[in-house]
Amino acid sequence: MFRMTKFIKYISLAAILVSLLASCNKWLTVKPQDGLIRDDYWQTKEQLAAAVTGCYESLLDQDVVEDLFVWGEIRADMVVSTLRTSDDAVNIMEDNILPSNSFTEWDPIYRTINNCNTVLEYGPDVIKKDATLTDSAQNVYLAEAHAIRGLMYFYLLRTFGEVPLQVNAVSTDADVEQLEKSTKEQVYNQVITDLKFAEQYAVRSFGSNNRDKGRITKYSVFAMEADAYLWEDKYDSCVIACDSIINSGLYALVDGKTQVNWFNELYYAGNSTEGIFELQFDAQALNPFYNMLISSSNQYIASTDHLSDDIYGLDQTGLTADIRGNNGSYIGTNGTILKYAGASAGEDYTLRTADESYAHWIVYRYADVLLMKAEALCYLNRGQEALDLINMVRDRGQAIDITQESTDPSATEDIARYVLDERAREFAFEGKRWYDLLRYAKRDNYKNLDVLTQAAIVNAPNNIVQTIRNKYKDVNSHYLPINTNELQADKKLVQNPFYGN
Amino acid sequence: MFGYQQLYAQGSKRTIVRGKVIDAKTKLPLSGATVIEIDADDRTINGTSTDIDGNFALRVNDPEHNRISGAYINYKPTVLKIKDSANVLLALTGDAAELNDVQVTAYNDEVDNGTGMKIRDRDNTLSTASIQQKEIENLSSPNIAAALEGRLPGVNVSVPTGDPGAGLSIQIRGTATINGSGNPLIVVDGMPYSTTIPSDFNFGTADAEGYAQLLNIAPSDIQDITVLKDAAATALWGSQAANGVLVINTKRGKTGKPAISYSFRGTYSKQPESVPLLNGNQYSTLIPEEVANAGGNPLDISENKEFSFDPLDPYWYFNYSNNTNWIDAITQTGYSQDHSVSMTGGGEKAKYYASVGYYHQDGTTIGTGLDRITAKVNLDYNVSKRIRIRSNFTYAHLNRQLNFLPSSSTTYQIRSVAYNKMPNMSIYEYDIYGNQSPNYFTPESNIQGQYPNTYNPVALAENAKYAQSGDRITPSFQLQYQVVPRALLATFDVQFDINNSGAHTFLPQNATGRPLTESIVNEAKASDGDAYSVTTKTNFIYTPKSNDHNHQFQALLSLQTNDSKANAYNVLTTNTASSEFDYPFNGSRATNSTASLTSTRSEVRSVGTLLQAQYGWLDRYILNAGVRMDGNSRFGPNNRYGFFPSVSARWRLSGENFMKKYSGFIDDLSFRASYGHAGSAPPDKAVWQYFNTYSPYSYTYLGESGVYSTNMELTNLKWQTLVGTNLGFNLWMFKKRFRIDFEVYRNRIKDMFYDALDIPSYTGFGSMPANVGTMDNQGWEALLNTIPLKTKNWQIGFDLNFANNENIIRSISDFYPKTNVESLNTNGKYKTYLQVNNPFGSFYGFKYLGVYSTKDQTVARDAKGNQITDPNGNLLYMRFQYPSVDYVFQPGDAKYADINHDGNIDDKDVVYLGNGLPKITGGFGLNVTFKDRLKLITFFDYKLDYDIVNYADMVTTNMYSFDNQSTAVLSRWRNPGDVTNVPRALYKKGYNWLGSSRYVQDASYVRLQAVTLRYTFQPKLLNKLNIRSAACYVTVENLYTWTSYRGQNPDVSIIGNNSPFAYPVDNALTPPTRNVLVGINLSF
Repeated sequence: MFRMTKFIKYISLAAILVSLLASCNKWLTVKPQDGLIRDDYWQTKEQLAAAVTGCYESLLDQDVVEDLFVWGEIRADMVVSTLRTSDDAVNIMEDNILPSNSFTEWDPIYRTINNCNTVLEYGPDVIKKDATLTDSAQNVYLAEAHAIRGLMYFYLLRTFGEVPLQVNAVSTDADVEQLEKSTKEQVYNQVITDLKFAEQYAVRSFGSNNRDKGRITKYSVFAMEADAYLWEDKYDSCVIACDSIINSGLYALVDGKTQVNWFNELYYAGNSTEGIFELQFDAQALNPFYNMLISSSNQYIASTDHLSDDIYGLDQTGLTADIRGNNGSYIGTNGTILKYAGASAGEDYTLRTADESYAHWIVYRYADVLLMKAEALCYLNRGQEALDLINMVRDRGQAIDITQESTDPSATEDIARYVLDERAREFAFEGKRWYDLLRYAKRDNYKNLDVLTQAAIVNAPNNIVQTIRNKYKDVNSHYLPINTNELQADKKLVQNPFYGN
Repeated sequence: MFGYQQLYAQGSKRTIVRGKVIDAKTKLPLSGATVIEIDADDRTINGTSTDIDGNFALRVNDPEHNRISGAYINYKPTVLKIKDSANVLLALTGDAAELNDVQVTAYNDEVDNGTGMKIRDRDNTLSTASIQQKEIENLSSPNIAAALEGRLPGVNVSVPTGDPGAGLSIQIRGTATINGSGNPLIVVDGMPYSTTIPSDFNFGTADAEGYAQLLNIAPSDIQDITVLKDAAATALWGSQAANGVLVINTKRGKTGKPAISYSFRGTYSKQPESVPLLNGNQYSTLIPEEVANAGGNPLDISENKEFSFDPLDPYWYFNYSNNTNWIDAITQTGYSQDHSVSMTGGGEKAKYYASVGYYHQDGTTIGTGLDRITAKVNLDYNVSKRIRIRSNFTYAHLNRQLNFLPSSSTTYQIRSVAYNKMPNMSIYEYDIYGNQSPNYFTPESNIQGQYPNTYNPVALAENAKYAQSGDRITPSFQLQYQVVPRALLATFDVQFDINNSGAHTFLPQNATGRPLTESIVNEAKASDGDAYSVTTKTNFIYTPKSNDHNHQFQALLSLQTNDSKANAYNVLTTNTASSEFDYPFNGSRATNSTASLTSTRSEVRSVGTLLQAQYGWLDRYILNAGVRMDGNSRFGPNNRYGFFPSVSARWRLSGENFMKKYSGFIDDLSFRASYGHAGSAPPDKAVWQYFNTYSPYSYTYLGESGVYSTNMELTNLKWQTLVGTNLGFNLWMFKKRFRIDFEVYRNRIKDMFYDALDIPSYTGFGSMPANVGTMDNQGWEALLNTIPLKTKNWQIGFDLNFANNENIIRSISDFYPKTNVESLNTNGKYKTYLQVNNPFGSFYGFKYLGVYSTKDQTVARDAKGNQITDPNGNLLYMRFQYPSVDYVFQPGDAKYADINHDGNIDDKDVVYLGNGLPKITGGFGLNVTFKDRLKLITFFDYKLDYDIVNYADMVTTNMYSFDNQSTAVLSRWRNPGDVTNVPRALYKKGYNWLGSSRYVQDASYVRLQAVTLRYTFQPKLLNKLNIRSAACYVTVENLYTWTSYRGQNPDVSIIGNNSPFAYPVDNALTPPTRNVLVGINLSF
């Protein structure tokens, strides 16, 4: 009897211990209260929509747009530095690019890519949990994520050449792995694969003008495709993609009769009839251009002499002027880059204040489609059609005669060069110049390398001109190096041989 | 407990006892004395007090078993059995003071590791060090952590800034990990006491030291401090204790008549002269030269009118033709006063200690200050011999004024702004007619840029705000219960910690100069953070009754839990109506890209179980072993619990029989060894969580809100484990007049936490928190206490401690970088490497040879000194980093040694420049006492044999930007042929300040840290004034430094800096302040 009670005592003691341990474990499970956790997410279509919106929002990251501007413009010929330009930016302008340069960092772009990857990985689960989500609605969301991811890889391809392809979402520390670089071809294929999916499922319209310009539609996907095809000299495919946009009849060039109206509609107000895909900055999410371009600490100004002498040309009579030139894209007297800085254009131009620095970043617009098609056409020996398209854009911009180049429809090379020059006038400071130059230069085994070199040395100090010439002979130098931090974090990455030790 | 009481209430006949209480000596009656009936456990059953003639009548419940006790203040209580007589005469003897002394001595002999086990110092198996109240008494610092600096071997205290109330960083035995959190755990009166506020309280304008909550305990309340150093000792405290433990006991009540003490401390501190800077004229000569050298074109003075000096343009002329000393304009003399009143007393049953303190300080920078009020009540009540209750109540109120800090970077600290500010600018604005106005002159922009580069430091100091306030209440309760008298003791502790903090910042328009429409104008921010934690501890201490001299056994079972909650709110609005309205609630704009409204919430829980036992055999062989289980809610289910064993031993050689013959002069000679594991939970930062969370962006896209994945789920995160080994040696001789403690240790941190392990950015994250590798932290330390002279009137004491510590990485994650910079191609950086199995601290750079005086000197030469030519026979000139940078050196440029003689200064020319780890650190002090009345106490600290980078020199002589420079640049190179050591001015060009031997110096120093002269008044005199004791003292701090270092402050160290790539950098442009303090202690 006595032994029995002792036995019961032990049993109950053990039972208490076990239950204590179990309750202890429960007590130690503390979910964060100030954020949604993944295990509780991906339940409803609204959550899926919010995650897709997150992909767009990440594009408004200050670093993304600054990178797009820096990569697309400052190595080329139209932007110069001030006393306040950062060392890293000056080094890029002077082609003294080191792997430690902060503009070689991938982070901002891959952050967006990871947002897209997350949508693509977990988004398809939602349909199992939310019966109100239809297949087609789901595919629209996925198409948007695919298109944004494709666009980001396309920027990486053009800027760095070879980059690692990350197509899986990273959401736990177990997902972190060291990847190797993919070849340019693999990256390109990824771009096309993503865009193809997007092309198939993206909507034609969201039913509102702002959303049609600010989110991915079928037409913005076509514009991306056209650009990508052109990069790889796939002219037929490019023309088809461009035609899909042109034939839709949804887009037209903004009227260019007065510089003031043209600027106001296209750049100040944004989401014009010409816009195809524009990043929608607003009062809450300002763009970084105020400090880069406007305020007295401006870091980048236009290379005014080069622009007026070589790009837009000067009419000696003073009667005509390209509306895209002085007081349009930039201010001739002080070099302010008006496209993102201006509240209004013309001789009585005004600048944006810090709290209205929300000019949209135009990724693609109709004029771009016309000129991409023109570029493709001239290599398809459809020179006259190309010239017609060029003239369409020139007429709108009131280009002056002095900048007219070739009228012979059979002179393929001349027309291609003409398109390049016209693109400089049309898209000054829109983050396209360097890519246009590089695309043109690398065609036919770098036949036109001198065009790229010439653009690089226009604004360079005399003592480094020869150094730049030498550097540009190595075509690997046209792509930025992999940042030191990436090389340290990923031992499988191999530096671009031009920058290698 | 309840039944026990009933048992005695039954079956006994109540009766009345009458009697008288008298003084045993004088036989006079004692009026108002307490007479109580007590049971076998000394529990009070009933009580009364005597009348004016000392008579009493008490109704007793159980005259058979119970006793009667008489007590009176300052008398020893007397106890009698009731049944002995019906008319009791209680004679009390008046020697309570003696009683107290006995108690205090007993207390001091025990080492308190905070757990409650009673282990005598001579039986201690662990590595500990302690400091007593008497040593703390004479310090000027309002913070007890400063008291530890240099006084205990292996304890390193550093003050990140000199601002009032700055948080302190305490390091025990060097850098424990490459992750941030290195501060030790503080245990106050047996319960862990958090000294940091939750990281969620991200009060925006981050200051350099973070928003560290002070250890808000007034030094006058402290009885003693013990530092637990080895892993076996800290293992007792579990997951927060891997960085060491500071065990602090506060004063408790003493039996006796109430004693009231008052102490006062006042300090005066002055900012010493800083590095001499250029005046306005010298600066205006330098800048145009700097620009002209860089671009070839002179500075355009029509664009930069700051340098046009055109009297026809009075606005610019008057505003920019001054010789302003910005440093003087923001500096003031610092004062502080510290008052504290305490009262202590008690009787047999209850004892109390209560204190109130007030501290006020004005910092040496205008706009900085601190107010602190502290209050403490410690109560002890003996319910009976078996049950005791202790309760502590601590309150602190803090109000701290700081200078506004615009961003997380230290670049814009007000003093840095003042150093860099152009000296030709005026403090107050002149109007266009040249009349001075009372408005601060803050241009919207000038050559130095715009906000935040153009802050007017005076406007920032006077008008901008950064105030922190805190209220902290820490009540704790303890119940002690002798389950089995003298064998099994149970204690139950619970402590509540309510810690509320607030911060308020304001950046007025007149400090930034920005146009009124912008959202940076009149930016007001208010934050509030509330933290609440509950800690419990349940201890069972078993001491067998059979313990005798040969067998000493003690065992402890401890159960600990902690639940900490925190929430915080931040409001930031802009454009308040004017610079006078500094709160967000004054009406302001709340929706723009700057404004924000955020809140956070967090909760962490932990549990711990400890089983520990100590056994001593024959008073010579002592063994201590323990095991601890920890659980923490920061880990995922896979790794939530950890088990951490520890074992330690002591062998008392002096106790062996063959040593008996030396026992005349050897008190104790022992060897100790310990080995222990201690687990750490991740630091209190939001990144450490095993949930993948999604958060919304702070802005919308086309009016829709989106979310993104903010962090990675840390599935693989494990406990960080400290494996500590310690060997110790104690030699105490000549009745404790000579004492040596020596320790050798190795702390190996396995699975070391690291917040920001760089991972490839194609993951979408720049970095992740992870366990990254293993690091050793090893060294030795020695402590010597001696009293070489002890006569009737004189006593001289000499104390010395020294320590050495080094850090070695044993293994590291592949993701972790191996060097801080790939290539030394930018100015201002030194190269360091992470080499597995090699100690930290070495840094590398170029060897500086002066300045190229002429063009001829820049010609490249081979090893034999012959000029190098290209294949065409043209002369080649020295280049920098060919081909990637390819800069050709010009006359006036810095000249670096071309180690490999290839005409190209590049990474192959990098040489070893120095090591930043001191070989020996420590402190020593000499104390002289005359007749116990006059005391001279000195304290020196030192660091020997290490090199530091004089960064202050670098940035004030680089002539690379528009920042003001030191007068050293007046000797710069200007024309070919100039022979000097200072290169030419070159705006944002060139390589004149590469990390080179130019800025590296040996910084060994010995500093006379404090000298105190203390006088204790004679009792004879005091008795007449009815004062129990009185003393006064004067202390001078930071009196003199012996060093060959040429910079301002050699006392910089990389210990405490957690990067393996750290090298010690002296950023100070001003040496540390010199403080004079006077103090008075009175006791009634």
